[in-house]
Amino acid sequence: MIVVWKDLLVERRSKETLNALFFFGLLLLFIFQFALGPDRERLAGTLPGLLWLGFILSGLLGLGRTFVVERENDCWEGLLLAPGDKSAIYVGKLAGNLLLMLVIETILLVLFAFFFNLDIAGVLPGLAVVIALGTVALAAVGTLFAAMTAQVRARELLFPVLLLPVEAPVLLATVKATEAVLLGEPLGSVAHWLKLLAAADVVYIAVGVLTFDFVLEA
Amino acid sequence: MRRLLGGVTLVGLLTGLVMGFGIAPRETTQGNVQRIMYLHVPSVWVAYLAFGVVLVASIAYLVRRAESADRLAHASAEVGVLFTGLTIATGSIWGKPTWGTWWTWDARLTSVSILFVMYLGYLLLRGMIDDRERGARFAAVLGIVAAFNIPLVHFSVYWWRTLHQPPSLMKPGPGTMPGIIVAALLVNFAAFTLLYVYFVTRRARLLRLEAEAEG
Amino acid sequence: MPDNWGFVLAAYGLAAVVLVAYWRFLSRREKELEDATAIRHDLRQPSPKPASERPSP
Repeated sequence: MIVVWKDLLVERRSKETLNALFFFGLLLLFIFQFALGPDRERLAGTLPGLLWLGFILSGLLGLGRTFVVERENDCWEGLLLAPGDKSAIYVGKLAGNLLLMLVIETILLVLFAFFFNLDIAGVLPGLAVVIALGTVALAAVGTLFAAMTAQVRARELLFPVLLLPVEAPVLLATVKATEAVLLGEPLGSVAHWLKLLAAADVVYIAVGVLTFDFVLEA
Repeated sequence: MRRLLGGVTLVGLLTGLVMGFGIAPRETTQGNVQRIMYLHVPSVWVAYLAFGVVLVASIAYLVRRAESADRLAHASAEVGVLFTGLTIATGSIWGKPTWGTWWTWDARLTSVSILFVMYLGYLLLRGMIDDRERGARFAAVLGIVAAFNIPLVHFSVYWWRTLHQPPSLMKPGPGTMPGIIVAALLVNFAAFTLLYVYFVTRRARLLRLEAEAEG
Repeated sequence: MPDNWGFVLAAYGLAAVVLVAYWRFLSRREKELEDATAIRHDLRQPSPKPASERPSP
């Protein structure tokens, strides 16, 4: 808990990151519009994919910076030498990342709805479920990998290279589920995707909690 | 000992070749192109075997901190990536005359490609960490994550490909294949497994020699 | 159905090239390292005793 609070209070990371991610999201939106705007139908068909592309690209930036404060301020040793269960640090960082990602995803969603004239009011509950499940999966692995790549050279390269293949099934599931939800279909029709996402969430968090001690060993 | 293993492996591979070309008959629907399956299917089996060993060795390393476990994981991952690449290549070569295209996003090729990139990342991670102990630890964690991801990859890709589309040209299961083709496949399975063991033991030994040279 | 032997040969050929190349990589590296180890061991051996110090028959 302390870690979450500390991160939230360290506004430097949060505000910096949020601002950057907001503008990044806006930029993505413009690019999507330039690429696909004129053809309304094609755009509508690819929207779920574009939405999650926006989420994951922002996520790469945001998650990759999970430990930037510790790294830049030479607090890394502090983390390594912290007494007790290091998994608490993982959970704290994970919660912080979840919050960050949900905020940026909400902003992106609103922008999408506005610019592409989506009626999301009706499908919001279902959409929220899909986004929540998917975001947990992204953040769970992202937090773990961020810790692993924090001290590696070329970390900006290695982090996405490691994260994206692992998240491929999650992205597949979320895009398919989002597609169905945006078309107005009931959540039940994509129950299998939701179950996969839930399973992924459980597995990733479990592995994260169990292995974080090994990652932050002194 | 190693010479014996190498020799047996070679014999196994040659037998597999003979079975695949000389004894197994020309397949009725696909023609002789089907013979590529004697390469493709055992390759994918070896890949999964290799990544399973990576999982076990990774856990063993984290629990026991034995360097040998770390070397086994590293060697197995490397050989696994090798055979995964081979799976993709042979699958693609088989696909061109069969489906008319070099690449297709069918269930097997897609999931194997994801596996390929995942474990390539594993090797990259190892290459980028200079501290041997930290590299071993991190690689072990990644090896565990990647292995647990495999069923997720499988289901997601399979559902993606089959739920709203008619099943793609799936190879008929062993139950519907003539016995002699199954026999040829099994021989090649065994031969490739031997080859895996041979490669991994040599590669692990190489890693040990490298460690001693630096140590 | 045309037999597409070209593709079959391509697949088997590729497999052979890749597997043999890996085998050669393993053999070559191993030999390099074993030679290096041997040299290091030789350097650590005590030098052979000069003739005058050999025990008398």
